[in-house]
Amino acid sequence: MFDIRINAEGNVELEGRFDASNADIAKELFDKIEKSCIVDFKHLKYISSAGLGELLSAQKRLMAKGETLKLINMSDHIRDVFNYAGFHRVFEM
Amino acid sequence: MLTYSEKKFPKKINSLDAIFDFVEDFIADNQHLRMDSNAINFAVEEIFTNLVKYNTESKRDILIELEIIDSDLVTSLTDFNVSKFDITEVDEVDTTLGVEERKVGGLGLHLVNKFVDKLEYEYKNSNSKITLLKHLEKANV
Repeated sequence: MFDIRINAEGNVELEGRFDASNADIAKELFDKIEKSCIVDFKHLKYISSAGLGELLSAQKRLMAKGETLKLINMSDHIRDVFNYAGFHRVFEM
Repeated sequence: MLTYSEKKFPKKINSLDAIFDFVEDFIADNQHLRMDSNAINFAVEEIFTNLVKYNTESKRDILIELEIIDSDLVTSLTDFNVSKFDITEVDEVDTTLGVEERKVGGLGLHLVNKFVDKLEYEYKNSNSKITLLKHLEKANV
């Protein structure tokens, strides 16, 4: 199960399992973001490189126009994945 | 307690849910061992999706085997009737780059190596077999 939504504050909330089978769903939503916002990982249990790729694409597009994504509430496992990928250099988290 | 399990999965990305269920069931059967399901699922997903994306010449199902040998979890994925493609020889990605220099993709195998203790490739009779080995500890259950 995976869900991605934009909450009332305009921030992104992720939930469940962000894997290669639902990367297209995430891309569709990330493509709509035009301003800096927070991505909340509180309810995300798992992410694979497919999920990392969608986040990196969005970050590259936003940073090119001076905007950024900030990632919050990561589990220890997900933080490990981001650190191993060197994404602590790419995102504020 | 089941120390060996195998199952074939259609060579499609939407097989992932069934693969995760297969891995979780095996872990549940071996609660006397401490297994990090996220790490195991991660490694299996990355290898499986790699085979789906890049070994497109065969549509045959991919065989996944899970086995406890001594204090190791040995996971193998076999892709049948394909050309040789040794994933252990793929170039390392540079994870020190900043956002502008970063290319999307190529991280999967780099990350798999962080979560397993050994990654091996074997090519025999036109079949590619990737084996992941992870050392396990006894759980306090």
